Amino acid sequence: MAERHVKVESVVGLHSRPAAEFVKTAAKAPMDVSIGRFTGESVNAKSILAVLALDARHGEQLRLRAEGDGAEEILDALAKVIAEPDA
Amino acid sequence: MYAPLAGSVIPLAEVPDPAFGLLGAGVAVEPAGQGEVTARAPISGTLLTLRSHAFAILDDQGRAVLVHLGIDTAGLRDGGFTRLRAKGDRIRVGEPVTRWNLTALAGRSPLCPVIALEAPEVTRTAAGTVQVGDRLFVWNNSPSKEDHG
Repeated sequence: MAERHVKVESVVGLHSRPAAEFVKTAAKAPMDVSIGRFTGESVNAKSILAVLALDARHGEQLRLRAEGDGAEEILDALAKVIAEPDA
Repeated sequence: MYAPLAGSVIPLAEVPDPAFGLLGAGVAVEPAGQGEVTARAPISGTLLTLRSHAFAILDDQGRAVLVHLGIDTAGLRDGGFTRLRAKGDRIRVGEPVTRWNLTALAGRSPLCPVIALEAPEVTRTAAGTVQVGDRLFVWNNSPSKEDHG
């Protein structure tokens, strides 16, 4: 199981545009990918509904997980989206 | 899916931010009038998220809609938004969600994308101008429930 811990850098949190970018990136993964807080349940990273409902705010630490071939690369790409400040 | 605001219906493709097309299908409404407007619930359900500049409602069939008030308004320090409800509230179609003072836009676009989240396509049922409560579009089919986390 590959795992990344990453802080949300977008001022709006993982919402609207950053959420769309995140889910678009996650959708490319052949395996299941999850996102969540350390203290709570993880949700399907490919579901825009689930990601919006997670309601992650600026500065929050999130945990990403995936398993299988290419998991490390997928998580790197997703962590980059989350750690990216607003353009 | 009913109009959350009175205004003009604009195709999503004409919204100057392609990210909205990644969220699902829908249209945008350019609010009519100036000064203060009230954004209302386009469907009945539960407030899944409620930010100053945007809210999402999940209905009891597992379908969700996002209403985004203006383009690039998320980063505004004072975007003129007053939230009238709280995240997690049950809400009925037409009830006020957010009061919005359009004079706080600071040059940004007032277009409000109304998106059926994860829907591949919707059927538009309105063109030109709409009043609050006019039907904007209908879902072509329901997304599968299992993907909703």
